[in-house]
Amino acid sequence: MKRTVIGLVVFLCGLCGITAFGQAPAKPDKKIEVQLLWGTDSATSPNAGHKPVQPDVHKRLKTLPLKWHNYFMVTNVTLSVPRGQSAKAPISSKCAIEIKDLGQHNLEVSYFGKDKKVEKRTQSLPKGEMLFYGGNAPGTNAWLVVLKRLE
Amino acid sequence: MDYDAQLKLQAYLDGELPEAEAKDMAKCLARDQDATVLLAELKNTRQALAGGEMPRQLPESGEFFWSKIEREIERSELSQPAPAHESLLARWRRLLVPVSAAAVLGIIILVMVGPSNSSLAPESEVASEDSGSFVYRDESGTTLVWLSYPAENDIADETGGNRL
Repeated sequence: MKRTVIGLVVFLCGLCGITAFGQAPAKPDKKIEVQLLWGTDSATSPNAGHKPVQPDVHKRLKTLPLKWHNYFMVTNVTLSVPRGQSAKAPISSKCAIEIKDLGQHNLEVSYFGKDKKVEKRTQSLPKGEMLFYGGNAPGTNAWLVVLKRLE
Repeated sequence: MDYDAQLKLQAYLDGELPEAEAKDMAKCLARDQDATVLLAELKNTRQALAGGEMPRQLPESGEFFWSKIEREIERSELSQPAPAHESLLARWRRLLVPVSAAAVLGIIILVMVGPSNSSLAPESEVASEDSGSFVYRDESGTTLVWLSYPAENDIADETGGNRL
């Protein structure tokens, strides 16, 4: 009798586990931090409103094959992207970014300049990884957009 | 007499010595008075033990006693019930434990393997309207997409040189 009860309990636990695994609770929105950076060889940024880049971003920048020595953060935006949906936010007066969740760690990232889509990319971005988008800026400077997944 | 010699004397008294050794012992007894005294003492002890033992009699003979035991064993073997026809519940119970164990093991494997969290999902290349970009990726999980737009583009504003 005792063995029957134990066996039933184990069996029911197994069934519950399978049911729970098959019906996982709704996952929270993905949180993506988007930073607009200014790259330059000057020691200080001409814009007093710029802030120093975050240490983790600075560390990653040093590993990239970029020629600039100094980077400054122009704006910092956190986007909350619902699962399977997209979210859009401006990162400057001219530019915006749209991020669409494609499931698991995959994102579709679209850049808009003057309301025109100029770039679209599908990228896997797990927590801890960073995506840098960049290009030349006037003078000998550069612009960079950094995407960091927070959740 | 040493200990070994005493043991040999006891064996001689019990008739357990080989013939040659018994003859040697007899010769030794003729020479050694201590050995003769010891032999007499051992004989007296043996007789006392044999004579003093109280007779014990079984209520029944030995053969009858063992046959009773044999009959009892046979009777107990016959009286054991034959295994009952296995009920459906018993059959299910026999299956329940291994099936449950397999279910739990399956769950553990599913949880451990799980959906792939690898960051090696295929990255499609840039689907840009101007395909002037290159991609760099390093082992730390950093990806750089460098757009080869000229500096005067929709993203970098030439005005002021430092405004994006």
